[in-house]
Amino acid sequence: MGTTDNYALKTESFSIGSFLRQFVKTKGSVVIFIILWILASLFVQNFFSLNNMLLIIKQAAIPMIACLGITVVLMTGGIDLSLGYTLGLCSISVGIFVKSMGLPIWISIFLTLCIGLLVGLFNGILVQYVKVPAFITTLGSGYIIFGLAQIISSGSDINRLPAAFRAIGVTEFAGLNTTVFIAFGICLIMYYLLHLSTFGRALSAFGYNNKTARMSGIRTERINVLAYMISSFLVAIAAILLTIRVNCAQPTMGGGIYTFEVITGAIIGGASLFGGVGTVIGSVFGILIVKVIENCINLMNVSYYTYQAFQGIVILLAIIFENVKNRKL
Amino acid sequence: MKPAKIKKKYVVYTLITVIFLIVSTFIPGFLSVRNILNIIRQSSIIAICACGMTMVIIIKGIDLSVTGVLSFCAMVNGLLLLQGWPIPIAMLAGLLVGTLLGIFNGFMVDRLGIPAFITTLVVGNVGGGLALLLNSGRSIGGFPNAYVFMGNGTFLGIPVSNYIMALFVVVSSIIMAKTRLGVYIYAMGGNETVVKQQGISTTAINFFVYGFSGFCIAMAGILLSGQLDTVHPTQGEPYQLDAIAACVIGGVSMLGGEGKIYYSLIGALIIGVQRNILNLLGIHPFYQNIFIGIIIIVIVAVNIYKKNRAIELSKVF
Repeated sequence: MGTTDNYALKTESFSIGSFLRQFVKTKGSVVIFIILWILASLFVQNFFSLNNMLLIIKQAAIPMIACLGITVVLMTGGIDLSLGYTLGLCSISVGIFVKSMGLPIWISIFLTLCIGLLVGLFNGILVQYVKVPAFITTLGSGYIIFGLAQIISSGSDINRLPAAFRAIGVTEFAGLNTTVFIAFGICLIMYYLLHLSTFGRALSAFGYNNKTARMSGIRTERINVLAYMISSFLVAIAAILLTIRVNCAQPTMGGGIYTFEVITGAIIGGASLFGGVGTVIGSVFGILIVKVIENCINLMNVSYYTYQAFQGIVILLAIIFENVKNRKL
Repeated sequence: MKPAKIKKKYVVYTLITVIFLIVSTFIPGFLSVRNILNIIRQSSIIAICACGMTMVIIIKGIDLSVTGVLSFCAMVNGLLLLQGWPIPIAMLAGLLVGTLLGIFNGFMVDRLGIPAFITTLVVGNVGGGLALLLNSGRSIGGFPNAYVFMGNGTFLGIPVSNYIMALFVVVSSIIMAKTRLGVYIYAMGGNETVVKQQGISTTAINFFVYGFSGFCIAMAGILLSGQLDTVHPTQGEPYQLDAIAACVIGGVSMLGGEGKIYYSLIGALIIGVQRNILNLLGIHPFYQNIFIGIIIIVIVAVNIYKKNRAIELSKVF
């Protein structure tokens, strides 16, 4: 067929080459992950073992939840720098609810999730309605949240949480624990939300060009606010699971470093800082890449400080790569 | 708009005077010359950072690398001093490192089009990581007396730090108010496209502004290490928020094109005073941060809201 009639649809022949190129373009993080995995298995001692694989998955589960959250925010073209501090606030909150106030477990969890939603609402309203740039809003709110966490905790941690509460996240199951399955469930839900629902499409449209999205009838105000609420909601979930995992509710949990790690994962996974771009699979593998690197650093006995400096360079490369790739489009 | 601006200034000054008077009744010696000079000395770090930050915010950028660059430059400087290098050379090395990191920021923002907040955030993190790495997370201290004099000594009764701060402020103000470069910087904050079309190199302006910011942060770090006679790898942390807050309080607009170095200096002094008072009252810095965070959000929100309203009202359709 292949006629050159301008008004006819060009029939594109399916080829392995074009499929691969498309795959790398959108799911580059999967490719990088596979390459990294192969290299690590070959060159890093003790990497290639079932235990290590399970460990990586268990370690990646919780940041993955937060990463999916920030992917949503990144897709709107914004950022959430208060992520790590919200983690601390939710962590100490659930500790206070469960231990100090002795509330039933599910009520505690519900209240903590509400706190997450409120933080997101606060951020979202400031960004959307008051039009304060996202990085200033979340930078300021991050400090405010950190201070709040310090105040309600009087600066101290809460240890030894009730066993029934811990059981939610720590119960072992075929080598993995319930936390991993919860994370997996959230991945599925987010996949539906971002890729199979109209919300996802509206989100993407809003991220690419919010004026056009608005003119198309998409309720951009709601989407922007909802994005921040979803992100903080997921951070609250991550906080609860992390609190369970370390058996300690800390107001200082997370912090700037955690924010950074999660954003690194999202950006390596292909979420663009300018908005519009973001995939669940990309972010999942982005976090896995970050955790694999961390795992290798540990196995190779490299100093943690080297890793911290190195992490920044990795994200810089990822951003540069993203930018250069987008320019070519 | 003019009447409203004048009112705001006078309100702020009266408020400050009132607060000073109230505090001085509770804390004896608060209004003494020595204490005030001391407050200025402590604020000088913030003020120097604010000089560079003002310019960056004016061109609609941001510099989130204060924490890392401050610590890293201080660490470089400190380590060289302990190795016996002469003071001026060690300081020059620290300043050079900061300036280079700043220029790198400018490069990423201008040539690669990467948003300033993430570039500077990452560079700050890398700097912080390097500061930790250089000495395995340990602090260093015990610097030569001449060096500590810079941070703590006085000359004609006024701390040396204040002179350094004054130098930075004066030089920055001259650049912004009296040179063509200053005009270009304001212009770029107002409308970058027009500046480019005029044939002015926005690349050079970006490089200068971010580089100068890095230079200021480096100097702040060096001065801080002189004041404390130690370099701790994470000592830059509080100054990130304070530098931005100083500029914001000083009336620098996040939307670009507006702001004066002198006002940022006042903003820095206000922050310094406020921290001083809260410290004397025994309030932990963590709690102080809530206050500053709220101030930043409120001031920026009001500022942007007013600007947007002005734009909306001036629209024809």
